Amino acid sequence: MMSEIQKKVKVHVEKVNKSYGENHVLRDISLDIAENEVVVMIGPSGSGKSTFLRMLNQLETPDNGTIVVDGFDISEKATDINKVRENIGMVFQNFNLFNNYTVLENIMLAPVELGKLDKVAAEKKARELLKTVDLVDKADVSVNSLSGGQKQRIAIARALAMEPDVMLFDEPTSALDPEMVGDVLEVMKNLAESGMTMIIVTHEMGFAKQVADRVVFFEAGKIQESGVPEQVFNAPKNERLQEFLSKVMHA
Amino acid sequence: MFKKCLLGLATLVSFFAFVSTVNAAEPHYTITTDATYAPFTFQDKNSNYVGIEQDTMKAIAKRENFTYTMRPMSYNSAAQLVSNGQADGIIAGMSITPERKEVYDFSTPYYKTGVAWIVRKNSKIKSLNDLKGQTVALKTGTAASEYGKSLQAEYGFKVKYFNDTDTMYNDVVVGNSAATFEDMPVIQYAIKNGMALKVMNVNKPGNAGSYGFAVEKGKNKILLASFNHGFAAIKKDGTYDKIVAKYLGASQATFSGTKKDNSSIWGIMTSNRAALLKGLWQTLELTVIAIILASVWGVLLGVLGVSEYRWVRAISTTIIYIFRGLPLMVLAFFIYIGLPGVTGVKIPAFTAGIITLILNEGAYTGAFVRGGFEAVNRGQMEAARSLGLPYGSAMRRVIMPQGLRIMVPSFINQFIITLKDTSILSAIGLLELTQTGTLIVARNSQGFRVWAIIAVIYLIVITLLTWLSNWVEKKLK
Ligand SMILES: Nc1ncnc2c1ncn2[C@@H]1O[C@H](COP(=O)(O)OP(=O)(O)OP(=O)(O)O)[C@@H](O)[C@H]1O
Ligand SMILES: [Mg+2]
Repeated sequence: MMSEIQKKVKVHVEKVNKSYGENHVLRDISLDIAENEVVVMIGPSGSGKSTFLRMLNQLETPDNGTIVVDGFDISEKATDINKVRENIGMVFQNFNLFNNYTVLENIMLAPVELGKLDKVAAEKKARELLKTVDLVDKADVSVNSLSGGQKQRIAIARALAMEPDVMLFDEPTSALDPEMVGDVLEVMKNLAESGMTMIIVTHEMGFAKQVADRVVFFEAGKIQESGVPEQVFNAPKNERLQEFLSKVMHA
Repeated sequence: MFKKCLLGLATLVSFFAFVSTVNAAEPHYTITTDATYAPFTFQDKNSNYVGIEQDTMKAIAKRENFTYTMRPMSYNSAAQLVSNGQADGIIAGMSITPERKEVYDFSTPYYKTGVAWIVRKNSKIKSLNDLKGQTVALKTGTAASEYGKSLQAEYGFKVKYFNDTDTMYNDVVVGNSAATFEDMPVIQYAIKNGMALKVMNVNKPGNAGSYGFAVEKGKNKILLASFNHGFAAIKKDGTYDKIVAKYLGASQATFSGTKKDNSSIWGIMTSNRAALLKGLWQTLELTVIAIILASVWGVLLGVLGVSEYRWVRAISTTIIYIFRGLPLMVLAFFIYIGLPGVTGVKIPAFTAGIITLILNEGAYTGAFVRGGFEAVNRGQMEAARSLGLPYGSAMRRVIMPQGLRIMVPSFINQFIITLKDTSILSAIGLLELTQTGTLIVARNSQGFRVWAIIAVIYLIVITLLTWLSNWVEKKLK
């Protein structure tokens, strides 16, 4: 408790509910995430992980409850969601690179369009980011010519160009061929080490063990268990978590 | 992009505001007529409007010191434009009837007439009784057609309506219809000029009556008085009789060109070169202006159709729904004939035609533009928004460029449709390619050859337009 006070809370979620018609997808979810913390979310398909993640930058709106990111209450109507989103990077399973731009233009678009950087500065920044994801030679190619792993690393660079405080990842490696997964995870690991606050939905249990400060288990719209990786993976208390782990570990 | 849309809108608005104003010292009138009505009004081989009515009008105007613009169009449009105040007078073989006197004020009669009933030259039909169960061709809105219709119950024939005299004649000549009813002098002139028809009641015209010049009831009293005064004068000094003799005594070649001119496609093309080029030019002008403005308007509708505000989307959807649902010709009539009757603002036919095309083609364009934007993968929008881009920027920078690329083939298709749709505007008297064809056929009765020429011209233009569009499409990629 004492250490919590010193650490700044980056994301505060309280009693959030979300239904799609009859389907009650999130049930009274509460969760706090501290600055520099890396949280990995696991759980079976349809348990509400994506919905939860997408609510943190309001790609989905909750039916009720409170969500505070970076000190902004985004469940308030008056909050300028565009400003808050500038500080939250998001990486999608399907990359969603802008098809009408080159690699460099993809990375430069948001900082220039939102007046954060002028063109020259944005290009300089973009080239630096290409270095960190190890794709300098791809600067001027069309995004459609890239492999899946390259696309996802560009997507990460694009998000980082806005210098976010929090990064959200929704199954960033699920659409990749196995041999590409390592490159992307490597980039994410480096990012975690640099102190980025990260919330990651993934099925990569090895990666979770290595990188996560905390693992959160979602099931049927509820957080059934959470804790440090050693505890969650080696000594799960929740019955459904045990069941889930035995399935994925044997797979 | 937004600025461009605004510019387009401004152009559009200025088009709506554009009204014809003619100020001259002498009174100036707009007179409507039906240019497929030889010998009263028709286009001669040099594309001038001539005929008994045209020469009479000219002689009267000169004597009475007024000027006028003659607006040739279908008989029905000509009559409606006068009855709703868009035009000042009509001289179009209009029989003076009690019903019409409710709506129009007529001049003193300028020509005695009666209704003939007519069959194909070698037809076996002997009397009206033989028409039982057969089809009779009539022209909409004429006194002759009303006379024909009044005999329908008694003789048990079916009726089929046409908008212009010549198409109606040809329907009888080729045997689609068994007979037709037409004003006696008109059909006699046509037969004299080679139309393969015969009149069955030369000595017993039905419903004998007279033609009069007409103005809207209670309006344009000065014009009507001038006409009557001038007509009395040219009747007295023999000018009028000379005019009648000139047309009824003339051989076909005088006005329609020689046999050589009309008996081959090449002959028709060379003898009508000026008229065809003028018609083609008008078609191209309509097409190009309509394509540009309808695209601007359509893109604007499409953009509004994917707005983040529901009420803006609703406006776009409603406009698209209305103007996609209205047949082009109905819209043209509504704008050209309907609206001015209520607003009192006269709209030139060309402007009315352009507005019609913008509204109709723009609605179709709006629908596929909206569809194109919606077809862009949802993830593109989510990625842009999650970077902090507002809805508008995300649309402009990410969604629209991708959507527009998808739409290029739809645009090309719409351009071609627009070109073809300009032909429908012949209905409001625009002298584009199709109307030019109608007028030439009215004069020389060479339906097959003339329409073949017109069809080929359309195909050539469409081919060129397709090439141009494909070239632009390649450049875009
Ligand atoms: N837009 C939507 N409309 C209706 N139902 C939805 C929508 N989005 C998600 N759902 C439903 O909400 C539930 C949770 O979906 P969610 O995508 O959050 O699950 P998940 O845990 O991310 O699953 P996965 O591992 O398969 O990605 C599912 O039952 C899903 O069908
Ligand atoms: Mg998911």
